[in-house]
Amino acid sequence: MYDSGENTLLIVDDEEINRAILANLFESEYKIIQAEDGQAGLEAIQTYGEELSAILLDVVMPRLSGMELLRQLSRQGLTTRVPIFLITADVGGATMQEAYGLGVMDVIFKPVVPYVVQRRVNSVVELFCARRRLGAEVERQRDQLLFQTQQLAEMGMGMVEALSTAIEFRSDESGEHVRRIHDITCHLLRTTPLGEGLPDDQISLIGVGAITHDVGKISIPDAVLNKRGRLTPEEYELMKTHTIKGAELLSKIPQMREHSAYHYAYDIALHHHERWDGGGYPHHLVGNETPIWTQIVALADVYDALVSKRCYKDALAADVALEMIRTGQCGVFNPDLLACFQQAEPYLRSFYRTAKGA
Amino acid sequence: MEQGKQQLLCAAGIDVEEALGRFMGNEALLLKFLLRFPGDDTFSRLRQAMEARDTTRAFEAAHTLKGVVGNLSMKELHGRLVPLVEALRAGDADAAAENWPALEAAYGKTLAALERIT
Repeated sequence: MYDSGENTLLIVDDEEINRAILANLFESEYKIIQAEDGQAGLEAIQTYGEELSAILLDVVMPRLSGMELLRQLSRQGLTTRVPIFLITADVGGATMQEAYGLGVMDVIFKPVVPYVVQRRVNSVVELFCARRRLGAEVERQRDQLLFQTQQLAEMGMGMVEALSTAIEFRSDESGEHVRRIHDITCHLLRTTPLGEGLPDDQISLIGVGAITHDVGKISIPDAVLNKRGRLTPEEYELMKTHTIKGAELLSKIPQMREHSAYHYAYDIALHHHERWDGGGYPHHLVGNETPIWTQIVALADVYDALVSKRCYKDALAADVALEMIRTGQCGVFNPDLLACFQQAEPYLRSFYRTAKGA
Repeated sequence: MEQGKQQLLCAAGIDVEEALGRFMGNEALLLKFLLRFPGDDTFSRLRQAMEARDTTRAFEAAHTLKGVVGNLSMKELHGRLVPLVEALRAGDADAAAENWPALEAAYGKTLAALERIT
């Protein structure tokens, strides 16, 4: 191998004197392997493969001729990875042309002139070594780039999460709300039929969209956002604009717009208050006009709000919350979604226990 | 190499300087192959094939012999072999036969010189 520190040279020739001359010529720089005909050469190549730095190949040999061996190596694609030199006493033009066509690096005539063979072989071996080194270097750099890209993506995610959490702190909610909406949404998509056909990387992107569902609340005045009593009709109308404002905000951040999670995040921010019967806002979408993942976020948002303490209410027991959702007291949800949610709900409670314990 | 030996080989048409260069100055290795030359059966195989007018087998033997002779820089012998090899390659037994006596003489001269240096 190129980094083993030792170069190996295979000499394939049926004449001992030819092998001796070439071996004597290269033994100070290379580990020499000798093969006394094409068949033995083939066996040596199968043993050493790409550890070989170069192959010096005679043409006229018993059992397997140099040209036949060359044709086999060319078919295996070895000629592009190990330089092969044809060493021959006399070649017709046609043989030489075929040899070059099959990928030999050079044709050298016998009787050999030592410094000519050395120069030609060594410079090609150096070229191949440099090429392998460069190939390895390119691979290393590509791995590094991939790693850096991943780090950047993680940092971007961290920023999105930090922004969303900061916005939530304004409304006296702990940062755990966004984390839980994310967890509930991903859990339902990964473990119930709701996520059928969605690859895991897309589910992760939907999770990102779930985190930013309420960013529009940044545009709602404190007095409305944190009001302890019931909202007036005007205040409620203002509050509802957090959906449109959120989508607008996301669309104005170029980095967000180019993010692969953008189209999920945009739709979730805009439509996570829509309801199955058209009774939601802002667009009164009906049924599956709202994509299933946004419907899931909407339900997760309602459930989390019910079982958590808010400025306008106390925390409800999970059973009570589930019953309120089931009976349509928080708007109408997709029946399939409700069925899946009801099944998964006992497990979802564990998200809260861990949160309290922490 | 001893002056005397070198002169003997040169007189028999062997370019010792060139041959030594090919063996990277490794005199022992060159001598090993020079002294092995008389015992090599390629020439007798060539003679048999020539007598049988078998140009295919004669070509194979002559071709092999030319390779060895070239490596050992036996210039005179090499010069005699080239037209013979070409005649045999063309399958021309008569033209080959015409070249035979001169080749045989050069071979004898080379062998005699090698015998004297052992």
